[in-house]
Amino acid sequence: MKKLHYIVACCFILGTLLSFRGAKEKIVSMLGKTVPDFGLPNVDGQMCSLSSNAKGYIVVFTCNHCPFAKLYPKRLNDLNSKYAPLGVPLVAINSMDTIVYEDERFDLMQAKAKEWEFTFPYLQDAAQTVGKSFAANHTPHAFVIWRANNAWVVEYAGAIDDNGDEPEKANSFLAKAVDELLTGKKPSMPETSSFGCRIFYRK
Amino acid sequence: MKKILPALLLSVTLCSQATAQYNTLKIPDTLSGTNFDLVLKDTFAQLRPGNQTITGSINNMSFWGPTLFVNKGDTVHINVTNKLNDTTTLHWHGMHLPAVMDGGPHQVIPPNTLWKPYWKVTNQAGTYWYHPHLHEMTLEHISKGLGGLIIVRDAKEASLALPRSYGVDDIPLVLTSRRYTTLNQFQTVATSYGDYMLSNGTPDAQVSLPKQYVRLRILNAEIERAYDLGFSDGRTFYIIANDGGLLNAPVAVTRVMLAVGERIEIMVNLGGDAIGSSFDLKAFNSGKALGFPGGEPGTTGEFGSLLNNKDFGVLHINVVASTASPITSVPSALESNTYWTGSSATTTKSISVTNGTPGGLPFDLDNTPFKITTINKTVGLNAIEKWTITNNNVFGHTFHIHDVQFKIVARNGSASAVGAFESGWKDVLFLPRNENVSFVTKFEDYADPIHPFMYHCHFANHEDGGMMGQFVVVNTGGIQNSIKEELDYTLYPNPAENKLFIRMENPRNEVYYITIYNVQGRTVLMLPQPQIQDGIDIATLAKGEYFVQLMDKKTKSIRTQKFFKQ
Repeated sequence: MKKLHYIVACCFILGTLLSFRGAKEKIVSMLGKTVPDFGLPNVDGQMCSLSSNAKGYIVVFTCNHCPFAKLYPKRLNDLNSKYAPLGVPLVAINSMDTIVYEDERFDLMQAKAKEWEFTFPYLQDAAQTVGKSFAANHTPHAFVIWRANNAWVVEYAGAIDDNGDEPEKANSFLAKAVDELLTGKKPSMPETSSFGCRIFYRK
Repeated sequence: MKKILPALLLSVTLCSQATAQYNTLKIPDTLSGTNFDLVLKDTFAQLRPGNQTITGSINNMSFWGPTLFVNKGDTVHINVTNKLNDTTTLHWHGMHLPAVMDGGPHQVIPPNTLWKPYWKVTNQAGTYWYHPHLHEMTLEHISKGLGGLIIVRDAKEASLALPRSYGVDDIPLVLTSRRYTTLNQFQTVATSYGDYMLSNGTPDAQVSLPKQYVRLRILNAEIERAYDLGFSDGRTFYIIANDGGLLNAPVAVTRVMLAVGERIEIMVNLGGDAIGSSFDLKAFNSGKALGFPGGEPGTTGEFGSLLNNKDFGVLHINVVASTASPITSVPSALESNTYWTGSSATTTKSISVTNGTPGGLPFDLDNTPFKITTINKTVGLNAIEKWTITNNNVFGHTFHIHDVQFKIVARNGSASAVGAFESGWKDVLFLPRNENVSFVTKFEDYADPIHPFMYHCHFANHEDGGMMGQFVVVNTGGIQNSIKEELDYTLYPNPAENKLFIRMENPRNEVYYITIYNVQGRTVLMLPQPQIQDGIDIATLAKGEYFVQLMDKKTKSIRTQKFFKQ
């Protein structure tokens, strides 16, 4: 009886009905792997998916509430302005758990996109499937995917740059990787670690 | 040529010393009273040149949270809001309180949830602390700098001529170190030791202290490293308090070892120093015996560090003019503690350090890795027990027990082998290899056959690895009532706007725990043993339908009811 009580108590006290719990981080390298296309709602209400006309995409997993991600909106606009005309547009995706984080609601994503005058799509991955398919683990977490044999191959994964709060001092790993890909070369630094706020996935 | 080289080296060394850059020691903000709001969230700090480091914030402090000042005898209520991107817990280290308030691995706070523990402060005046304690995540959460000090005041301490101007002559000093990745993030994987000191979260810290006796409240908030602390000029200082409060009399030393989780309060005399002169508080960690945490010779890898097996500064002290009413001596007598001896104990318990051999299982206790559903020990309410912890293992450890303060009565069976520096009330002890340590303690006030307290090694990597056990305190004197009580209660008004009231329909029911969650299943409020007579404050909840899950104290049965917040 005691044991039963105990288990009941445990279930209750640990008892978040969501199975949301911290877990040791598992870093999965996506380099060289293909990622599937997706269809996600943009803040303008349209469904978005990848276009086979693009050479590649800069895919950045970001969110509304993470203080580190909040340092980057202007840089995302700048990256999109520079690379979209070269055939490599930027797409931002929010895979944060909207049940747990009310700050990540779709209407607040719309407000953020408006406030920062995003020139790129800001998509909601409410089911977290796209985040999982990229193995995105922090916000911001940047990927460069490149079109090869009718598939999208991850050619860069990691941080946008190496200085969040002082953009003028930052060394942009992401831009360098895109520049190299545009000249037909493989990125010289194809993988860095992403950091910021953890993206937790509902089990 | 041979002669020139050392001279050159010397001049380089002097140069680098003369240009050493120090940063002013951050003094944590303070909160006082009986109601405390703590908000945990992710943030970042500029700890090194270049990229910022992701850290944990409490009340907008970017590494290490506010110091809570509480008075013995007061009932304190704490509102812990978890705005982190993770579940966590917050444990009140050293405090005597009910297990359900203790903040160990069982009181999991999901993101965006408010947890409201409260307890009557019965601890003596001293320096305690709070920190996350989520199983398998303690290292990561503590590494982010989540934690803070709790300073308990009481009448006895207030009656003594001791330095107590916080941040002036009474300095909180939280010692830890971190290793950084190439992008300046904290390394938390396969890392036992940091490479760079953070004193109160300040790299290369310095502080200006007045030319008089000053008090340092030092906490070792490391992952694994111990500090053999002393001053650069070898001056004598006085230990006035251990983990659980003032000693009966000051102990004069020139060195003191502080292991992870331990606190010590010291007084040191700056009255003879010239204004403008400087000296350092240092860790004299070179040349230690095998098993001293941080004595390993390597500089890299899981067990190496740039700070290992060397002497290094932890605080640069600049002497400035004395204050208006300086403390000029150390009191000859402090508290009047009556300690238990080995013969006070009516029950003995033994615990051994096991496993941890390279390539094998991680360290654990009694060959039993921590399991949240297993109660390892049972203690009777008001029992005085002697616990002996044996370490015939490969390395040194610490041992910490929740709920109580204890008195160390023997090391390797010898009372005289217990150091004067650790002669007061303790809640953490250092356990060298090839040694056993015995302590005596009394388990008072809080029986709870369901909700356990923890005992464990306080090295965050070891506790995360399972070097933890749990015990319940049971009231064996009480009458065991096996009659099944029906849990019956009414929520009113319904809908409710600001306050939700609960009427217990069965007088034998008593509320043990209330959890409120919304229709999506997100927990919004966790209320351990809430005082329900004034209602539950729901003013800040969003409009909508909610569920109240109420657990009865005696039967632990649960009943869930709905209400509407308007």
